Amino acid sequence: MAGTKRSKRFEVLESRPVHLDGFIGEWIEVGLYAMGSPQDPKPSIRIEGGKVVEMDGKARADFSMIEQFVADYAINVKNAPEAMAKSEVEISRMLVDINVPRSECTRIFTALTPAKIARVMDCMNIVEMMMAMQKMRCRQTPANQAHVTSAKDHPVMLAADAAEATYRGFKEIETTVGVVRYAPFNALALLVGGQVGRRGTLSQDALEEAFELQVGMRGLTSYAETVSVYGTERVFVDGDDTPWSKSFLASAYASRGLKMRFTSGTGSEVQMGAAEGKSMLYLETLCVMVTKGAGVQGLQNGSISCIGVPAAVPSGIRAVAAENLITMCLDLEVASGSDQTFSHSDQRRTARTMPQFFAGTDWIFSGYSSTPNYDNMFAGSNWDITDVDDYLALQRDFKIDGGLRPVKEEDVIAIRNKAARAIQAVFAELGFPPITDDEVEACTYANGSKDIGDRNIPEDLKAAERLMKDAVTGVDVAKALAKRGFRDVAESIILMMRQRVAGDYLQTSAWVASDGTVYSAVNDANTYMGPGTGYKIPDDRWEEIKSIPWAIRAEDI
Amino acid sequence: MAQSNEELIASVVRQLMKEINGGGAPVAAAAGDGGVTAADYPLGMKRRDLLKSPRGIPFEELTLENVESGKVVFEDFSISGEVLNFQGNIAASAGRTQIALNFARAREMTKIPDERILEMYNSLRPHRSTKAELLAIADELQGKYNATVCAGFVKEAADVYERRKLLKGDLPSTD
Repeated sequence: MAGTKRSKRFEVLESRPVHLDGFIGEWIEVGLYAMGSPQDPKPSIRIEGGKVVEMDGKARADFSMIEQFVADYAINVKNAPEAMAKSEVEISRMLVDINVPRSECTRIFTALTPAKIARVMDCMNIVEMMMAMQKMRCRQTPANQAHVTSAKDHPVMLAADAAEATYRGFKEIETTVGVVRYAPFNALALLVGGQVGRRGTLSQDALEEAFELQVGMRGLTSYAETVSVYGTERVFVDGDDTPWSKSFLASAYASRGLKMRFTSGTGSEVQMGAAEGKSMLYLETLCVMVTKGAGVQGLQNGSISCIGVPAAVPSGIRAVAAENLITMCLDLEVASGSDQTFSHSDQRRTARTMPQFFAGTDWIFSGYSSTPNYDNMFAGSNWDITDVDDYLALQRDFKIDGGLRPVKEEDVIAIRNKAARAIQAVFAELGFPPITDDEVEACTYANGSKDIGDRNIPEDLKAAERLMKDAVTGVDVAKALAKRGFRDVAESIILMMRQRVAGDYLQTSAWVASDGTVYSAVNDANTYMGPGTGYKIPDDRWEEIKSIPWAIRAEDI
Repeated sequence: MAQSNEELIASVVRQLMKEINGGGAPVAAAAGDGGVTAADYPLGMKRRDLLKSPRGIPFEELTLENVESGKVVFEDFSISGEVLNFQGNIAASAGRTQIALNFARAREMTKIPDERILEMYNSLRPHRSTKAELLAIADELQGKYNATVCAGFVKEAADVYERRKLLKGDLPSTD
């Protein structure tokens, strides 16, 4: 632009945060195409002797491992001729038609091929997708999940943040690490802190597959989520798995009484350089169908850690909503993303979340950062604790149940302090490096890890190793808490351990209420059939959403 | 005399696969387990009578007090094959056949030690095992753990890995 006279208007526009975001035009060959690429396969199916012998223009002998798995485990061949004979527009209209029940939509969807499903999505605009989400999500009552992490992997801060997060309403909490060897302590901190904030909290420690299963087996976590699946054979194999190995792992989780869901997302194949020229949504459809075929109850998708890729191309954020919707249409729990930083623009990051927020999903975020973003070890979330009052205002503005509730400062201080003291007690009882009263005090009042001191990291890591080597279990933690006077927290951990015996939370889209009752798509199935049906915010819940503490009360004027 | 456990599971899986493909009678009827359905859910609230630890301690007795007294230990907080069967039937009766099949595999895995399960999982990863090694795992599943469904699943994987060149020593597929 040197030498060219600039428009002051354009100079101002270019200085806006949105200009720091990456945008790129469509590029079919490398798969930088959100949905409906001209290179996507054309829908077709041929069935002989009860087996799919041709799918989306490909003969069975040429199927990739993914296609074979999907054809054999995720397509109802009896209903397929009927379902595949319907036009894509007709099927998309079923989704938004309040007179067609959800069960009829899932009956048709579970008999479609991947190419057909992707095309059905491309018939809808974003508002129609939101209408469809409202009907098709499998659990009627929406819920929310938080990330609880610390840049210092500080166990006391993690316990306090876990307690605050669950007290604010997050029913599931997820952690990961800065330093891998801290992982056992992070799991422990979330287990204890999560139950202090709300009895019944489900917690997980997102790490390498074998470790996740191990801490789950010991009762230090109650579910797992970072079990990734991909849409092309090459990327799946690069991820060191196959649909068979991942299904085997899924059954291993169930055999130990642990809840789990898979993870996938648009853009992962592009990012790993092997999208085979297919659109992101077509490849993601295969991921959802692998999940369905594996018999896994749910899926975390919505691009997840690859959100920068779909967000850069035209119609990309619409495709992200579409992938959530496909998950719902295949009768799976969806944890619908919004869990990674992707934009410098407050407008864009808010708008990205609104389809899922307004329509409601099983887990609106698969990781709302319950800490400041600098403490978010998942590379930052789309929303963080600093935005929480905005979130509460949006719930109130639109009368939406986004899963959170307004809280009072003194109550949060009390709950954080209790969690900090509880983890202090567990450390003392199990002989881990001492937690001082000063640390308890600092973490009670802190916003983030910048407000607290440092732990003796080598000593902590040695002790974390010992926790694994000595096979410390949830039962040991409960005993330690009871012995040191935290009987109610100990009872909560036993309540969670009992879930493993009953297995109710293995069903689709489950969460655990504080009395131990499990709610899922089995006993809280979505019944939406138009205005006046489906999820209605209960009166007491609406009173809660309304009463943000900083609103002026009419009676005070 | 009822069918052997193995035959029973094999017949349940045949039913489940038929269900997935759209045919077949309701699975609960085939399983012959007293007809637990979605109406009994959640079992932890409605059917505690059906729940016990693997060594037989009733659900109601899995309490903090009994943990403190040593009557109940960590291993008691484990799901039993029987309960996985109930949950499989609940899933199937709610129309979620694939979940029931997953729980049928899980039910068999309750008998396999943690370490061995993790090893088997690693062997199923791509380019990790020869076909003979995978078939040996299938034989072990069948012979040692009576795990018919899992054995069939591993055999199927062996065939797919052979066709797609995903066995140990295969070069990565180029198509």
